[in-house]
Amino acid sequence: MAVSLSYDLLLLLVISSLDWSSTPGSAFLTDHNRMTSSAPVEPHFTECMSRDLETFRCWWSPGTFHNLSSPEELRVFYLKRNSPSSEWKECPEYSHLNRECFFDANHTSIWIPYCLQLRGQNNITYFNEDDCFSVENIVRPDPPVSLNWTLLIVSPSGLSYDVMVSWEPPPSADVSTGWMRIEYEIQYRERNATTWEALETQPHTQQTIYGLQAGTEYEVHIRTKMKGFPKFGDFSDSIFVKVTEIPLRESAVLLTLVLTFGVAGILILIMLIVVSHQQRLMMILLPPVPAPKIKGIDSELLKKGKLEELDFILNGGGLGGLPTYISDYYQDEPWVEFIEVDEEDADCGEKEDQKSSDTQRLLGLPQRSVGCFSADSHPDDDSGRASCYDTDLSEQDTHLLAASLLPGQPEDEEAFLHPDEKAPASETNKSPLIQTESEGKPTWINTDLYAQVSNVMPSGGVVLSPGQQLRIQENTEKESQKKGTLGEDTSKLNKPQFQLLVVDPDGSGYTSEITARQISTPPSSLVPGEGYQTIYPQPMETKPAAPSEPNQSPYILPDSPQTRLFAPVADYTVVQELDTHQSLLLNLPTQQPPPPCLPQHPLKAPVAIGYVTPDLLGNLSS
Amino acid sequence: LPGLDPLSAVWVGIICLVFSSRLSTMKAASICPNDQTGCHLLPLANLFDRVIQHSARMHGISDDLHSEFELYFLPSKNQIGRVSRNCHTSTILTPNGKENAQRIAREELAEIILKLLVAWRDPLWHFHQSMSQHDEFTNFSSNKSLEMSDMVHELRKGVLKVVEKMQMLGIISNSVGDTGSPEALLTSDSAEWRFMKDYDLLYCFRRDSNKIQNYLKILKCRIVPKHGC
Repeated sequence: MAVSLSYDLLLLLVISSLDWSSTPGSAFLTDHNRMTSSAPVEPHFTECMSRDLETFRCWWSPGTFHNLSSPEELRVFYLKRNSPSSEWKECPEYSHLNRECFFDANHTSIWIPYCLQLRGQNNITYFNEDDCFSVENIVRPDPPVSLNWTLLIVSPSGLSYDVMVSWEPPPSADVSTGWMRIEYEIQYRERNATTWEALETQPHTQQTIYGLQAGTEYEVHIRTKMKGFPKFGDFSDSIFVKVTEIPLRESAVLLTLVLTFGVAGILILIMLIVVSHQQRLMMILLPPVPAPKIKGIDSELLKKGKLEELDFILNGGGLGGLPTYISDYYQDEPWVEFIEVDEEDADCGEKEDQKSSDTQRLLGLPQRSVGCFSADSHPDDDSGRASCYDTDLSEQDTHLLAASLLPGQPEDEEAFLHPDEKAPASETNKSPLIQTESEGKPTWINTDLYAQVSNVMPSGGVVLSPGQQLRIQENTEKESQKKGTLGEDTSKLNKPQFQLLVVDPDGSGYTSEITARQISTPPSSLVPGEGYQTIYPQPMETKPAAPSEPNQSPYILPDSPQTRLFAPVADYTVVQELDTHQSLLLNLPTQQPPPPCLPQHPLKAPVAIGYVTPDLLGNLSS
Repeated sequence: LPGLDPLSAVWVGIICLVFSSRLSTMKAASICPNDQTGCHLLPLANLFDRVIQHSARMHGISDDLHSEFELYFLPSKNQIGRVSRNCHTSTILTPNGKENAQRIAREELAEIILKLLVAWRDPLWHFHQSMSQHDEFTNFSSNKSLEMSDMVHELRKGVLKVVEKMQMLGIISNSVGDTGSPEALLTSDSAEWRFMKDYDLLYCFRRDSNKIQNYLKILKCRIVPKHGC
């Protein structure tokens, strides 16, 4: 009891005095129990270690209660259990200074269990069963040597970099013969950090550390262990890794990034603008090709080639004709002559353009609603007539056409009244004129000085275009108004400033000069030879006027000066011959009484338009 | 062959000829254009490397199993445990150090390796059987024990091939037997390992696998030292 107590005290003293850090490596035996307990600690081995699998060392401590008079008192004995008849042997090499027992290669056997014991004086043996081991299990290789690092690559931003660390295997370990297979473990940390970063153990003598920050200094060290065995050796000496930052490069990278993104953003904006204003841009960049200017015709129809529709429109589409806007559209182009196809006669009448009316009459177009033909509808100028000759025209149209050659009828009183300011009396006077005509009525509105000779009758008569009729009608009206006052003939005669032409009612279109003379001389008192007067020698044939009132016959007979005066004459006549007096001889008119009944030939006038075909001529003549 | 154009057949034939010529050259010359010293040993060195890798893997598995067993059984401080018990392979005389391993004859070393591998064939199989029966062992351990026993078989075959190659090359004599004495030796010790506990068995095998690995390495560096020693 007393001995144990003294031993405890001694142990405490020893523990306090001993320098535990002197023992190499970690404790071979985890003798925490012994250290923490207050019980006396007997001499024991602290650690046995092999560095190269060929030799090994063992360290012991004397314990607490052992008499520390002489260090040599404790002796180390070992036992190799390779045979049943093995015996304890003493340590081959002592190092009392370190309390170390060194076993050299001759005394080291691998894969054979060793047991060690301490013996003190008086053969006191301190033996622990746990102190048996095999050498391969106690191997702790030396740390590697010749550590160095190389910069592997720096990131484009210059902020991080990779480093390759390489080293040499420990010289003590016989790696070359393959006796020892060593693995390495790298650990690194920032200079002032506390915890280490460990990479995976691997057997090669170099390893890459990724993702180190530029400008920071790193500390790196390596330790080794045997492959397949758990114990690590000590750490090697640390090396320091540092890469300085490259701010220029970083800023250049940032600049390029900013530029790239800016340019990309601008491009996207431009694209958006282009896409949103696609239509306008297309208009600006690629203006549309002007469409063909065909008045009244939809270019689309032409493109589509729908000629039937085109014809329909041009032919008046049921007397409808083309819209009137076309004239407005092309007013600034005087070279374009539009002959409008209108339903309303008013439109034709309203056409103030003398040209158009002239053209109409020149063309012999009937003033009737059949009407105003578009010049563009047919290629040649006489195209208007073609429609008049259109056999599809109804009878009514033919009536209209016929009537167009005759003086106006009461059906279109308004149109009739339009060109001149006539007194209502004249209307009544006109009415017989109008009534002389059988049907359907051309307007006498557009009376001009000129009228085209539609046809010349073999008898000598001339078929006039409607324009002439109107003029004649005017004169006639005036004359009829002032019938009673012959004395006023002069005034009447003075009025007409137009020229009268002797018209052969046969439709020949020509008048002879004799006729003209005849016409002209009696009215010499009437007409001081100012102009021509249209004289219809036989107005009957061409104009289906109803001579219900012969007195009021509109036609001026050659006998009467009135008739002579107001005989409708064509605008143009053909000179037959020159007489001795250097005067022109027109067609000799036939001395025929004026036909009382104009309506005898009422319907013989599909000729009404400019020219007369032989068929129609035959009709007229018959 | 139906559907095979004559042209493509010609191409195939040409390619086959080329490959066969290459293969034949490979067999004959075995990567050596001219008979340089040590060049003809390259296939042997490769064979050695593969065998050594195999043994290393075997040792790793045995180490893992041993560590796992330590969790279930007593955790020894220095992994010695009950060392008093001998392994059944203790009767096989093995070199206990590097110098000893380097000193003995190559044939002897090869034979020792084969003896060890043969000795562990049955015990490991039985170990695996007992492991699979116990419920407390995980599947991981069971798979490892099976793998271990398979690896012993394969490693033995590999070492035999190496020995054959060496004998063919004339490096070692033909005295290295295969089915001779190791079998006889094993039968005498057949009863011993049955009495060993699983844990001791694992410990012994771990030790012996390390021995095999080291011996193979030394053997390689003695025979083909220029190839990665």
